[in-house]
Amino acid sequence: MASRWKEWVTGWAFVFPAVALFAVMGVYTIGSGLALSFASWNGFTPNWIWVGLENYADLLWADPALAPGVRRAAWNTLQVCVAVPLLTVLISLPLAVTLNSVRRLRGLLRSVYFLPYVTTGIATYYAWRYLLEPEGSINLMLRSAGLGSLAQPQGWLANPSTALWTLILILVWSAVPTATLLYLTGLQAIDPSMVEAARIDGAAPRQVLRRIIVPLLTPMTAGIVLLGVRDSLHGFQIFLIMTNGGPGGHTNVLALETYELAFFKGLAPTLGLSSALGWLLFVGAVLLTLANARLLRRVR
Amino acid sequence: MASMKARILSLAAVATLVAAGCSSGGGQTSEPAASGQSLTMWTFKQSHATALQKAAEQFTAQTGIGVKVEAVTPDDVFKSKIQSAAQTGDLPDVLEAHAAGEDLELGASGLLADISGDVNDAWKGRFLPSTRNAGVLDQGRIDRAAADSPFKQAKAGSMYAVPFTAGAFGIVYANKEKLQAAGLSPDTPPASWEEFVAALKTSTEKDPQAGGLSLGLKVSQVGFNWIYQPLAHAYLGKEKFQGLFGKDTAAGFGSPDGVKTLDLYAQLTPYWMPGATTLGIDEADIAFAQGKSAYNVGGTFTLAFLAQNGMSPDKVLTFPIPPSETGAHKDIVMAPLALTSLGVTSTSKNRAAALKWIDYVTSPAGAGIVAKESLDLPATDLGAEAATLMGPELAALQKYFTGDPASTYDAGDTTFFPGGYDQVKPGDAFVRLSPLKELDPAQAGKELDAIFGAMWKSAE
Repeated sequence: MASRWKEWVTGWAFVFPAVALFAVMGVYTIGSGLALSFASWNGFTPNWIWVGLENYADLLWADPALAPGVRRAAWNTLQVCVAVPLLTVLISLPLAVTLNSVRRLRGLLRSVYFLPYVTTGIATYYAWRYLLEPEGSINLMLRSAGLGSLAQPQGWLANPSTALWTLILILVWSAVPTATLLYLTGLQAIDPSMVEAARIDGAAPRQVLRRIIVPLLTPMTAGIVLLGVRDSLHGFQIFLIMTNGGPGGHTNVLALETYELAFFKGLAPTLGLSSALGWLLFVGAVLLTLANARLLRRVR
Repeated sequence: MASMKARILSLAAVATLVAAGCSSGGGQTSEPAASGQSLTMWTFKQSHATALQKAAEQFTAQTGIGVKVEAVTPDDVFKSKIQSAAQTGDLPDVLEAHAAGEDLELGASGLLADISGDVNDAWKGRFLPSTRNAGVLDQGRIDRAAADSPFKQAKAGSMYAVPFTAGAFGIVYANKEKLQAAGLSPDTPPASWEEFVAALKTSTEKDPQAGGLSLGLKVSQVGFNWIYQPLAHAYLGKEKFQGLFGKDTAAGFGSPDGVKTLDLYAQLTPYWMPGATTLGIDEADIAFAQGKSAYNVGGTFTLAFLAQNGMSPDKVLTFPIPPSETGAHKDIVMAPLALTSLGVTSTSKNRAAALKWIDYVTSPAGAGIVAKESLDLPATDLGAEAATLMGPELAALQKYFTGDPASTYDAGDTTFFPGGYDQVKPGDAFVRLSPLKELDPAQAGKELDAIFGAMWKSAE
């Protein structure tokens, strides 16, 4: 009996720090955030004012000063959510296959392609801003190559028709290294005899890729798409630093709107609205994840 | 024995916790100001921290009360630090906050103490007249606030802060060397909006890449707040200008008068420096200091920032946004508004010493030290000492503060805005009008009326 008690205490002593940490940093924060989404609070007053579902209604349709902006941000977010994972997969899969088949300088090439991942995001966003300026390197290269008509005199981030897609491409640039690494891991797990057998049966490299490699990498693709969707829904730093949602609100996304509602509305009691928008994003992420999982299951 | 020891240790721990709980925050008790006390202060302006610390040295020499000033930047970090400190009872004794808004919110939320009983008329009399009541919550403000605003729970007449720095927006800075190079007078400001636009045209033609106008339009509302509003105020006069923001769209931005003012603003379109919409306020000022534009719009506070970034104040010509020749007023006077203010936190146990510090730093002697160090205009009227203490260029900016009351544009007057006014939305519409040209003035007028209509509806 005593030894069982001792065992129980020892077990809990090991588990308790993790449980306590999760209870405080996880359960409490999530619970408090959810409760806040039903309240009005500016972060300073001692009490919250309970408003029920009003914050959700205001964001979705009820507040004429708020809802149209949220809808525009939702449309921008949707474009990012679709384009970033799709382009990431379309670039990183062929890149991984190529890197996997390269015999010489493989290590060096992998390091080069992985560089964007190890560089700090905030620093690279500032570097990209310089490259995209009216007199930045991108315009300079285009002009030097005789493609001056493609250069953007106001810079790539100041033109409403190029700003959002420029940010999407930068997001893809920063997502490709991880995706490539995941695909490389997946490729190395494929039994070489399967590829060999297909080749002996006369399958062309294109058919091997399409009929064998891509289906076997479906779990990796699912993971990469999920990571892309998650980053697209929650990431706001790039939008905050590079455009602040501009020009004229053309690159505002829901995550940035959430941040602005929390920290840039003076001291107005908008923390509840911010929290409610965060929870709407969470619901959106869950729905997209389920849709993605179902789609991939059908493909498999 | 072991259990006895554990019991004693537990009791000691509980006693320590109780003592800690009693001593941290929440207390309203205040010691009288006395030598040897030490105050803590937070400011959101890096340039003020050094200047305040310098003033604090003099204050400590005189009173024996120590002051430790800490800068917490940028604004969102300052705000979240106050939020968390308020929850944990770790607020400093004194806060420097944005005046006539943030300070009142902090006070109404219970973080700043009501000091109306401590600030007498003689103290208030030190300040520039238009800034004196910036820290006072009046009944009108409470009435206009949204139903869930903390103002609704506050008492009218409460004073949560005293003004500290003052200034005005809508000040144009012109690079004298670039003006000279373009054949423009480096010493004579344009007399009208039309002359200003013509000068912009000349300087941009001379130097298409670096002869234009810089402004941090990444913060979309600055064009609306700093250029359009003084311009429209001078063109329409106070009553019609305030009518633009009202519920009656017949007098709104889409009205013939409103569209005319938008048309004046849109005349800037060809002259913005390339990429102006991607620059923050500081970045635009830096671009001007680096010679990437000939003109820059800011506030009186911009001069200090330009100097910090290597542009000597004697190399710039300053003037307020010029009025249109065809408008109601032929000159613009900028009423100085309190930009930052100082308040005592409600949890401070050194209230008397904190008030003594604020008293000192808003006295001509203390404010003079801060102004000289930070190159920022104080809310304290320095009178004849101004030029000596602040330098001739900074003191010269004060000349735009006085003139015909009818022509005076007061950016601090927000009585005609809808409750819960959000300046980003009209700001975005202004960026779409100019420089993006996605809207013409008539379309922009309609969109702005819709934006303000929605805000009025939302406030109801």
